[in-house]
Amino acid sequence: MLFLDRTQCIGAWLGRTFVLFKITNMKTKQTIAIIGASGNMGSAISRSLSKGNYRLLLCANDLNKLQAIAADIKSSNLGADVEASDCSRDASWEADIIIVAVPYSAEKEVADRIKEVANQKIVISIANPLNDTYDGLVTAPDTSAAEELQKLLPNSKVVKAFNTTFAADFATPVIDGRQVDAFIAGHDEEALRTVTELVETAGFHPIVAGDLAVSGTLERMQLLLIQLNMKYDYNWLAGWKILHH
Amino acid sequence: MYNLYFQHLNSKVQLTEEEEAHIKTYLTLKKLRKKQYLLQEGDVCKVIAFVEKGALRAYSVDENSNEHIIQFGLEGWTISDLYSFLTGEPATYNIDALEDSELVIISKSAHEELLQTMPKYETFTRLNITGAYLAMQRRLTSIISASVEERYQEFIALYPHIVQRVPQHMIASYMGLTPETLSRIRKRISSK
Repeated sequence: MLFLDRTQCIGAWLGRTFVLFKITNMKTKQTIAIIGASGNMGSAISRSLSKGNYRLLLCANDLNKLQAIAADIKSSNLGADVEASDCSRDASWEADIIIVAVPYSAEKEVADRIKEVANQKIVISIANPLNDTYDGLVTAPDTSAAEELQKLLPNSKVVKAFNTTFAADFATPVIDGRQVDAFIAGHDEEALRTVTELVETAGFHPIVAGDLAVSGTLERMQLLLIQLNMKYDYNWLAGWKILHH
Repeated sequence: MYNLYFQHLNSKVQLTEEEEAHIKTYLTLKKLRKKQYLLQEGDVCKVIAFVEKGALRAYSVDENSNEHIIQFGLEGWTISDLYSFLTGEPATYNIDALEDSELVIISKSAHEELLQTMPKYETFTRLNITGAYLAMQRRLTSIISASVEERYQEFIALYPHIVQRVPQHMIASYMGLTPETLSRIRKRISSK
C-alpha cells in the first residue's frame, strides 16, 4: 500500500514495518556550481543545498576560505557532496546548474568566463543591483540584473531566485512561525521546475512569479526589505510572506 | 570541446560555418568524472550524449543485482537510453563514466527544435539512428548465431583498444559471459 501526503512524503508497508521517506524527484545527482561561494549569500546557499541530492562545487578566488566552508558543511552534514574549486569555468563545465552568487558589478566578468560552458544550462541570478548607499538600484527602470545576465548569456536559461531572502534566512527559513516565501522568475518551464525544487530543498516556500521580466519587481522588493531592515532593525532576519485565502 | 562532434557531423552532412555556429547554440558541454552518472534507471532520459573524450557505459541491473552492459560509449560514439528519450518513459538503463569524460549533450527540447528547423540536422540524426539500428541488429545476430570466439573478435573489431581501457569483467558482462569463460576464450584465441 502506498500513500502520498502533503509533505511530499511517501509511505509504504514493507513487511510489517511502515516506512516513510521523502520523494526525491530525480535519482541522477545534479551538479551545482556556486560561483562566489565564499560570500555571505553564496556560503548560505551552499550550506542549505547540501541537504539535497546534489553535488556542490564551491567556487571563489580564495581557495583556503572555500575549503574551510566545504569542511564545515561536511562536518555538520556527513552525507554532503561538496568540493572547493578556484576555477569557475571548469566548475561550470561540470555543472548542470550554475548559481551566480556575486555582486551585480562582477556579473559581466563571470559571464565572460563561463559563457561557452554555460550554454543551455540553468544559470541562477541572485543579485540585487543596489547602489552604494542602498537607497536605489543602478539598473535602468526597464531592466534588471537577471535580464542583463540573460543578455550576456543568450543561450543559457537564466532564472531569478534567492534574491528576496537574506543570508541569515537560509538558517532560519521559518520566521515567527511562517515559512518564508521565495520568488522565482524565468522563461523556461523545465528550468523553473528545477529551481523550484532547489528552493524547496533550501527550506523556503517557492512561488513562481512569472517570466524573467518580473525580476525587476523582485529586485525592488528586496531593495524595500533592505531599507525596512535598516529602518526598523530586523537584524537581517526578515522575509516576504504572501497572505492569501 | 566539440571538435570530434563537428568532425562526426561534417562526415555525414557538410556544414557551413554559420550552420556550425547555429548548432553550437543548442549544445551543452558537460564534464563527467569517473563513476559519476549521466543517467540513473527510473529517471526519464532527456539527453543524447556524444563522447568527445573518455568512456561511458550503459547497463541494466537485473533482479539479482547483476549488471548487464548494453553498450560502451568511447570517443566519437553517442550514448543514451533512446527508448526513454523517445517515449518519455522512465529509463531502464544506467549510464555512468568509466573514465573522466567530456560530453557534448543535446537535450530533447533542443534536439526537437533542430529537427524542425534544420534539414541537415535531421539527415544527420536519421543516419545516426540508422547506424545505431544496424549496430544493434549486428549485435543481436551475433548473440544468437555466432560462436563466442567470433563474438569476441567482432567485439574487438568494433571497439579497438577497449581491452586496455575497460576491466575484463565489464567486457564479459557486455558479451553475456562470466569473467572465467571470457578468460578461457582469450587464452584460446591467443594460443592460435
